[in-house]
Amino acid sequence: MSLAPVIARAWRDNLLVSALVELTYACNLDCFYCYNDLGLPGAPLSRAQWERLFEDLAALQALQLTLTGGEPLAHPDFFALGRRARELGFLIRIKSNGHAVDEARALRLRDEVDPFMVEVSLHGARPETHDRQTRVAGSFERLLANLGAMARVGLRVKLNATLTAWNEGEIEAMFALADRLGLRLGFGATVTPRDDGDATPLTIAPSRAAVAHLYRVLGERSPDPPAGESCTPPPASEKNCGAGSSGIAVDPHGNVYPCVQWRRPLGNLHDASIREIWESSPVLPAVRGLTVEAKRRREGLGETGRWMSFCLGLSEQATGDPLGVEAGALTRAELLRRVRTGGGEAAPDPVTNAVPAGRPAAAAGERRRPLLPVIA
Amino acid sequence: MTGSTPIGPASCEIAAGAYRPRSDVRFRRIGDEAVVVRQDAPEVLVLNPVGGRVLELLAGGEPVGAVGAALAAEFEVAPAEAEADARAFAAELESAGVIEPAPRPETEEPEP
Repeated sequence: MSLAPVIARAWRDNLLVSALVELTYACNLDCFYCYNDLGLPGAPLSRAQWERLFEDLAALQALQLTLTGGEPLAHPDFFALGRRARELGFLIRIKSNGHAVDEARALRLRDEVDPFMVEVSLHGARPETHDRQTRVAGSFERLLANLGAMARVGLRVKLNATLTAWNEGEIEAMFALADRLGLRLGFGATVTPRDDGDATPLTIAPSRAAVAHLYRVLGERSPDPPAGESCTPPPASEKNCGAGSSGIAVDPHGNVYPCVQWRRPLGNLHDASIREIWESSPVLPAVRGLTVEAKRRREGLGETGRWMSFCLGLSEQATGDPLGVEAGALTRAELLRRVRTGGGEAAPDPVTNAVPAGRPAAAAGERRRPLLPVIA
Repeated sequence: MTGSTPIGPASCEIAAGAYRPRSDVRFRRIGDEAVVVRQDAPEVLVLNPVGGRVLELLAGGEPVGAVGAALAAEFEVAPAEAEADARAFAAELESAGVIEPAPRPETEEPEP
């Protein structure tokens, strides 16, 4: 029995499978393109409220729990919450900048939280490039030391990078660095505005040539979809994505959203439980309907749509309409189509790692390489 | 699989026909199926509704004999057939690295 039909049914039947929680917006780095809304009004959730959320998510049978921030380890109760998440049986992903994960903390992560994956941000192949992004001198060297510590204690680690004008000359070097470290590197090409609408991060968006080059490099490295991303559409789904259908995101003040990118409030955990929000938010039916309409909209774009990452959150942010076709997405789709059709082999969209339809499903009962991200 | 098999000191005996998920295993019921992740492999298994129910019961501490009885009641199967199926499936799960024999709970010594 394969996983893809299960995920398709989760999307169809609105079964909550995955939650991403931003424990705090506090951070020990100061990334230039950080998307967090640092002026977000409201009161932070207490430890008891986070624990209640985790318990409710487990009762709803959510499998994957992503702990992020800000820097999640900057939350004063991070390890207590991580232990509770482990007790509740979640498949835990941690998105961290890695700056605080020295050997002692790496050991605590392994022994107390036991995450399935720690995803760490890499901003360049050279100290000057990485530190320019983090705006903390020495952060690159410290990251390398901490990645070594995480490897020594046996944590599963993946690197994540975003292509920017600052690192676009280091694509091969960043992959070479990841290869030397023995780590997988997920590389996206989309720089997003901040969640409060501030477009400053877009000033370091990569050039078209660099995006095309990244697509070529990714295609040369692997025709297979790199695991570890979250927007791979399962086959035979009427929806564009699982936002609000199988996944949700929660910010530090308890606001619940369809996904981390789509900041349309569904409710607030100060006022209602996640079960109440999931089952009766007046916003969710519209959100789910929009994901159906987005799929149709993408299919209506023909060949370009096939290569396109249609993110309702980005579209809403860029155009005011979640079904609006964002110019950047069209550009990336066209670049990807040109690069990949020239190469001839079906391959994932490197922006989202969406896979063109038609990949064979695993035979019944066959064990599969983990496709964990598709449960998002 | 029947009876109690000592694997070390008496306090570490396994319980009769009792299993528990291995420490790296995570699973949830998603709709009718159960999705099982072995973090260390890493692997994902999808179990059908009966398989998911067996795993759920074993994880809840039910010995495999009781699992068979529960299946017989829930799925309207002959008890002997249900127990045989439960034992066979538990063995499959064990060989797949999903479950392991559960240690017998230590009995408390009476206070002197």
